[in-house]
Amino acid sequence: MPVVALGLAACGLAVLAGCATQSVDIHGMPAATPAADNAAAAANRAELAAAIANEGREDIAESGATPSPLFTPADAPSMVTYDPWERLNRFTYRWNARFDSAVFLPVANGYRCLPSPLRSGVHNFFGNLTELSTMLNDALQWRIGNGVRSLGRFLLNSTIGIGGLIDVAKHVRLPSAPTGFSDTLGTWGVHPGPYVVLPLFGPSTLRDTIGLAGDIGARYGINLFDLYRGSFWKTGSMDVADAVDERANTAFRYYATGSPFEYDDIRFLYVRKRLLEDTGLHRHEKPQKPAPGTEAGR
Amino acid sequence: MHPRPRALRSLVIGLAFTSACAAAASAQTVQLPSTSGPATGLADSAALRATVFGTAPEDMAPLPARVPLTEIDIKLPWANPVPAVFWFDKRLRVWLSAQKTPAPLAIVIAGTGGSGNTDKLATLRAALYGAGYHVLTMPSPTFPGFIVSASRTGVAGDLRQDGEDLYSAMQAIIRHLPRRVQVTDIDVLGYSLGGANAAVVKAIDSAEGKLHIHRALMINPPVSLFTSIGRLDRLFALSIGSGDAGIERLYRQLYAELANLYRASDRVELDEDFLLGAAAVVLKTDAEFSAAIALSFRLDLVNMFFAGDLYARTGVVVDPQHPPKVGDPLEKFEMTLRAMPFSEYFARVFAPYYLAHRAGATVKSLVADNRLDIIGDSLRDNEDYYAQTNSDDLILDTSELQWLEHTLGARIVVYDHGGHLGNLGSRGQIADMLDMLAGRWHRPTP
Repeated sequence: MPVVALGLAACGLAVLAGCATQSVDIHGMPAATPAADNAAAAANRAELAAAIANEGREDIAESGATPSPLFTPADAPSMVTYDPWERLNRFTYRWNARFDSAVFLPVANGYRCLPSPLRSGVHNFFGNLTELSTMLNDALQWRIGNGVRSLGRFLLNSTIGIGGLIDVAKHVRLPSAPTGFSDTLGTWGVHPGPYVVLPLFGPSTLRDTIGLAGDIGARYGINLFDLYRGSFWKTGSMDVADAVDERANTAFRYYATGSPFEYDDIRFLYVRKRLLEDTGLHRHEKPQKPAPGTEAGR
Repeated sequence: MHPRPRALRSLVIGLAFTSACAAAASAQTVQLPSTSGPATGLADSAALRATVFGTAPEDMAPLPARVPLTEIDIKLPWANPVPAVFWFDKRLRVWLSAQKTPAPLAIVIAGTGGSGNTDKLATLRAALYGAGYHVLTMPSPTFPGFIVSASRTGVAGDLRQDGEDLYSAMQAIIRHLPRRVQVTDIDVLGYSLGGANAAVVKAIDSAEGKLHIHRALMINPPVSLFTSIGRLDRLFALSIGSGDAGIERLYRQLYAELANLYRASDRVELDEDFLLGAAAVVLKTDAEFSAAIALSFRLDLVNMFFAGDLYARTGVVVDPQHPPKVGDPLEKFEMTLRAMPFSEYFARVFAPYYLAHRAGATVKSLVADNRLDIIGDSLRDNEDYYAQTNSDDLILDTSELQWLEHTLGARIVVYDHGGHLGNLGSRGQIADMLDMLAGRWHRPTP
């Protein structure tokens, strides 16, 4: 008997020791789909080759406008980003990374186990909700063509597309062209301002942050299908579903680079991407010469 | 708009922008010697293009519809204390795709600076899983996540030391594999530097016998890490110029080209498709392709340089007395380091560290220790080593290619085209890879 007891005790100790040094996390991830990915890449490539060959020239010919003045390397913004709140931003970035790996990503990965038609229905539904505010902003930016396109998309998808669950419009050559209040501010000449990392939302600029607030306001104001009135739980669950859908459709993974410079690289890329998009808001104007020594985003 | 984390989505696009960045160049400002034959004396046009674009989707080997994925994060007891700025790299992260039945395990190692889940690893994983292997993909020992969580030195780039670290990590991972994963045999392979790492790991295992690794396969390996990176440094100097000024010129050129392309389109949002398409349009000349290749290698090295300087306390950019803390701005380190060629890493971090820590080492011996010669006898005599490479691989010179052919004899296949890894995943490469790992490959009789 004592032998058995000793044995049990030894086993118990071994298990405890094992637990103490247990240093492995194993978690399942959504399966890869290489065959489908490759087929999609092949299709994209063919489409792109065709699109690149025609794009631009056609648009200019149609609009009858003169070609935009060309950008030169001297017009490019500085490589340095205006980030006066860097310490706070870095703190928030780190918090976002931790929240993402502890909560956001696991939830999104769980969501990705649902059947794909269901998920694309959810994705299209939330996309459709934004069409009206896109239209509103197109109007404010005086981009009538785009506004009409958004209206067309909304009407088609809300009816034939069963309340927005199916993106019918995409298949009749009306792809989505989302825009928001930040773009509107940009059209009016508001500069991006300093770089900001928002909790949960991630990289932004001051103007994008104001734009985001405006967009949220518009969404609640428009209150499409009466989804954004009523109990906190109702509206809150809409926003959570929207966020999970968006995360599940975003391949980004915090610190997949393993690099301590990830914050800097993301900041660089985010601000340059937004500045490039701003150049599109002023398509037919001369590129603004950056003042020498100014930092991007200021 | 809407309260969506649109910013998050922008990040992905931002990452695509990185590839576009890497794929952009300042052609007009720098003219490469326009002699016939290999541009820059390093590689010809076809090799450069293959290296940048990789295998076209339509030329890919058949891949399975679904590959299950498990992520394994493991804390390794021998790792050094984790510097504050690397707080997110405490555990080594590897990926496993397991069969449901007993099967051989293929361990695949990434190339320079690569994580355990690069696109190239994903391609190899898919092909190997489809052929019935359990597949474990691991980062390169030069990946910052590996340096911090699995390196005994923190100074990456020594073939034998990196091999030892990899070998220990593999043992720890295999000990902790889920019980349902039944392994019948173990093979190791890798691409680029990972190929050389794989061969060294097998050689170590032959001596220590802890894993009983069966076969090792090198895909486009370097023969000498330092010579190969030296060639890429030359490519950088020729196509981009020296220092940060060259990088800034490249950036401005790219930005202007993208802006013009974008303004000419009627797009509202810069999306991934646009950027990928733009990369294909922006890159035209050999100089542009060279710049893309050189820049992507250079950016891969920045993290390894920074980590090495931090661990070895060599003070190139990091003050050993006052290492950066969480939340400190780091951009100046990155800017300084990306202007430095690899030779600086060797001279100012790698050599000082190993001269101090390895008895009897000289600069000459350190360079010699980084050639595949250190396992030359095994490669020559052991029937279980294989290699695949291309006659126009830009990380090899003629004598190095000859050395590989001579040493491996009937166990190497040299394709005519593909540059560096430009045919990875193609039907021929995958078929030969699977035959080699199964021990049924025979050199086709001409």
